[in-house]
Amino acid sequence: MKRHYYLFWLCAIVMSLATLSYFFLHPSIPIIDEYISVNKMPVIRPDYTDTVIPPNIAPLNFVVKEQGMQYYLKIHSAKGNNIDVFSKTGRIEIPIGQWRKLLNINRGSKIYFDIYTKDKISRWVRLKTITNSIANEDIDSYLVYRKILPVHSNWSQMGIYQRNLENFDESTILDNRFHGGICLNCHTFYNNRPDKMLIGIRSKKYGSSALLVEDRTVNKIGTKFTYVSWHPTGRLAAYSSNKVHQFFHSARNEVRDVIDMDSILLYYLVDSKTVKTSPNISKKQRLETYPTWSPDGRYLYFCSAPMLWSDRNNVPPERYDEVKYDLLRISYDLKSDKWGELETVLSTKDTGLSILEPRISPDGRWLLFCMCSYGSFPIHHQDSDLYLMDLSAQHTGQFEYRRLQINSNQSESWHSWSSNSRWIVFSSRRRNGLFTRSYLSYVDKAGKVYKPILLPQKDPLFYDSCLKTYSVPELVTKPVQVTGEKLARVIRSSRKIPTRLPITMATPKAGVIPEPWEERE
Amino acid sequence: MLNSFRKLPSQNLGRSIRSFLFFILFYLYLWLQVDPRLIYHGGETITSFPVFFRGWSFFQQFLSYPGGLTEYLSAFLFQFFYIGWAGALVVTLQAWLICACTDYFLKAVNAPRLRWVRFVPPILLLIIYTRYSYHFTTTMALLTALLFVFLYLRLLPKSRLLSMVVFIILSVILYYIAAGAYLLFAALCAVYELLFNHNWRMGLLCLLSAAIIPYIEGALIFGLNIADAFSELLPSSPKIFAYEARKRMVTIVFILYLLLPLTALGLRLWQIPAEKKVKKKPRHKSTKPGAKILSWYTGVPLLRWAVESCLLFVIAGTVVFSAQDNELKTLLEVDYYAYHRMWPQILEAYHRHPNSFFIVNAVNRALYYTGRLSSNMFSYPQHPDTLFLTSKRHISAFWKKADVYIDLGVMNMAESALIESMIRLKERPQILKRLAFISMVKADSGAARVYLGALSKTLFHADWANNYLAKIESDPNLSTDDQIQHLRDMMMETDYGFTNYVPERILLALLQKNRYNRMAFEYLMAWHLLTGQLDKFVQNLDRLDDFDYPGIPRNYEEAILIYEVLTGSKVDLKGRQITQSTYQRARGFSDISNRLHGSNQVTAMQATAPYFGDTYFFYYNFGHLTTAE
Repeated sequence: MKRHYYLFWLCAIVMSLATLSYFFLHPSIPIIDEYISVNKMPVIRPDYTDTVIPPNIAPLNFVVKEQGMQYYLKIHSAKGNNIDVFSKTGRIEIPIGQWRKLLNINRGSKIYFDIYTKDKISRWVRLKTITNSIANEDIDSYLVYRKILPVHSNWSQMGIYQRNLENFDESTILDNRFHGGICLNCHTFYNNRPDKMLIGIRSKKYGSSALLVEDRTVNKIGTKFTYVSWHPTGRLAAYSSNKVHQFFHSARNEVRDVIDMDSILLYYLVDSKTVKTSPNISKKQRLETYPTWSPDGRYLYFCSAPMLWSDRNNVPPERYDEVKYDLLRISYDLKSDKWGELETVLSTKDTGLSILEPRISPDGRWLLFCMCSYGSFPIHHQDSDLYLMDLSAQHTGQFEYRRLQINSNQSESWHSWSSNSRWIVFSSRRRNGLFTRSYLSYVDKAGKVYKPILLPQKDPLFYDSCLKTYSVPELVTKPVQVTGEKLARVIRSSRKIPTRLPITMATPKAGVIPEPWEERE
Repeated sequence: MLNSFRKLPSQNLGRSIRSFLFFILFYLYLWLQVDPRLIYHGGETITSFPVFFRGWSFFQQFLSYPGGLTEYLSAFLFQFFYIGWAGALVVTLQAWLICACTDYFLKAVNAPRLRWVRFVPPILLLIIYTRYSYHFTTTMALLTALLFVFLYLRLLPKSRLLSMVVFIILSVILYYIAAGAYLLFAALCAVYELLFNHNWRMGLLCLLSAAIIPYIEGALIFGLNIADAFSELLPSSPKIFAYEARKRMVTIVFILYLLLPLTALGLRLWQIPAEKKVKKKPRHKSTKPGAKILSWYTGVPLLRWAVESCLLFVIAGTVVFSAQDNELKTLLEVDYYAYHRMWPQILEAYHRHPNSFFIVNAVNRALYYTGRLSSNMFSYPQHPDTLFLTSKRHISAFWKKADVYIDLGVMNMAESALIESMIRLKERPQILKRLAFISMVKADSGAARVYLGALSKTLFHADWANNYLAKIESDPNLSTDDQIQHLRDMMMETDYGFTNYVPERILLALLQKNRYNRMAFEYLMAWHLLTGQLDKFVQNLDRLDDFDYPGIPRNYEEAILIYEVLTGSKVDLKGRQITQSTYQRARGFSDISNRLHGSNQVTAMQATAPYFGDTYFFYYNFGHLTTAE
């Protein structure tokens, strides 16, 4: 009986505290019948103004960076009920249910944010209305990215995560915390679908390999994949194998730099489980990387640069800052497994810059790529910008391309298209020069790319103290179903699909598994 | 009966006083002798520092896996090590609770004679802290398991079915809170039920659940791999065994975990034959003199109390003092002083462990800041690697290197070293502070805001961070911050790509940027002296004009004389004079050398050291013989 007595009082105290905290944290919405209007746009962080937002995006929570004792936000659009949010601190957290409903019934319309602040003399002040547009087309519901501390040479905390863009749920696909500190490299999906993917793995303990996920089956391919592109049929994946080296800058703002001392393109045939290459994509004196298939599967686009050094072990090599990549393509016939002749799509001679990370929209119309002053790793180049090429507009043998207005004065790099070709996600360091974040932008049918929005978080101040960088953002239509435990089991397992590299021109050192470029020697 | 009834309160009081005294001494020893601030600081010795940030999103991460709550609580409590007395209090409370739970279990298994065992865990904890190793999370998991054992024994209903339900509920909760430490709970409950309560069904359930609960809850529900599901938060966890630094003193933690189950098991094994004996032969009062003394001794409670207390304090004191690791303590102290720029304390602490390159590295910094590097550096055992910790053996000493780089103005090197450090040692406030500072010096206020934002969520560094955040807001250029402006004036501007640190190249680039960078100059000269590159040393002597040295620093004078003797040429000192005392030392050194000509180098070194051990003459001739770490 005595125990029940205590239990009763415990429950009573907990409930009282819960009730009090509810009223403290959720004060009632005030009725604002009198206010003065000022002709000033409110400053909000993150900047969610004058842009196009996906109709299925999670609430764009933000902080009002204006002086005020209290804050009130009214969100409204052509149809549906208004959303009222009241805050004492300026932190605006929009209720997800109302938000989703409002966005969904107002596709293609404008959405308005009216912000009111209460000044020191208890007078409500209305700032100018923030206007955004709601796109008609959804963005793919999931974003897969890698989160990692700003790595220099070592890594210990690293993981691949998937974020539901329709809410704030984030789940782990694979975390290296429990798997002996493996390095998780790029993750590549087949046509934005999570049921077929490749993840590159590097590990001292388990070796370098690639995890091939098909539905819920996971296999380990016993060779290193760096940058991968699935053929639209899903029957083969072109990939690069790169001898990547990191070095440092003594005085540049970004300390790190990365160079491919050598690289080569290969392709993996899923059915026959074989690795092949072609002489045109594995030239000895050139560095081939960043393969990407055209959506019709007829062309493989990739980047290629002349190798300017003979000593492949001296890092950084001399003239490392002169390496510039051209954008090439080569035709391919899947039925006969035959490769055609090389074509230059865009030459560094014309741009003066290194052309990197080409990705073609699924409708085949647009080619998005990066350009920076030199090298193959745009994320470490402050001058790296995004460019868009119209593959349907070829004049005098040249495709038209332009620098996008959405670029900042910091690095823009890795990007991915949504399955409907209307959205892109890209990495940018525009908030600061060190921590990479993911941004979403709308691309209309004419190829206009709209002001990007920072991947929204429940806590609008989340990024102000987030020490992890978000890299390799990839849009997918559904969540990845395979569990991290299963992936980890396959990583640890000694079973793997053996691969025989097609280039064997030299006898490798006894006991050493050669890298492809060594084989090519 | 009446007699024993009267004795009981006084016995309990005696026990309580002993326990109180024990834990008072425990606390004072931890606070004043061990100094928890050194464990918090950790240098690069303690690699499992638990990061703690205020806020729901940080807490939320810990909810997603078994053991997360214990990790969260440990991370929170460990932050109090930042304040010496508070850290000692946390450990004392932890030790007291473990002691109390141990005592309760021993009472429950009816082992009054073994109740002294309750003092063993606190003594073992003292050893762990005396040796400056970090196992706070693992011992918190142990404490949680013991608290649940206490709860189980306390709640134990008479109905067997109900006890099973209570056990299962406690098991599920405990596994979620303390992960693998649940195995200790299951083991203790099994021992109790099988051997003392003679409830074999319940005992078997305990054993079975030890195998099933981690599998179902850990592996199937939370998706841990099997090894982690059973070992998370235990001393056998791969998270401890995968890292060499974390294995220090792990044996003691194993003993802590095994102590109670093995004691109970041993007790039962001892009791079974004893019980049989009692049944066979009733005990008679012994008339032997030894037994009489024992009987008298047990009959005088105060004496017994005094003897037992003395014994406890002597044993505890002996064990703990013999476990002390003074070398490690000195290393941590010097690192702590270097971080807090307490230069005189470094020079004082050096004498306690003079053979460490890390300490000499800090000593060189202290000498520079006390204006003695160019005249007194050879009073300490030098080596070319001590100045920048450039050897392969010190490749991971990022933390220590970073401070030298910051002071010199090599911000990129410092940033790189600190990020490597953060990856190894997690987001420690000391690292975040320095990274924020570097970002501010580099005028990257965006990155600085992120580091400061993270710091503002810590318990004890928020004020520093908020102060700088306000400064950045009001003055983005930080033009009123003298330290930042000074470092911007010194900061290297020549950019080139590199993989290996080449001191000479960097120091010359720093002097090219700002010829008045005194530290770069003194380190450049020190580097040339340490590496014996006297020609380069002499080439840079002209730079003395850029500084306000009253004369030629003593070690430089000695090097100039050696250079002149070796090359036969006169160095142009631009009107400066070498002091008579240096000439005298040179003559003295030369005389001894001539006298010992022909004898082996070690003999010569030993004969010379007492008179000239602090000179560059000595280092130049014998340095290679004296600098083994």
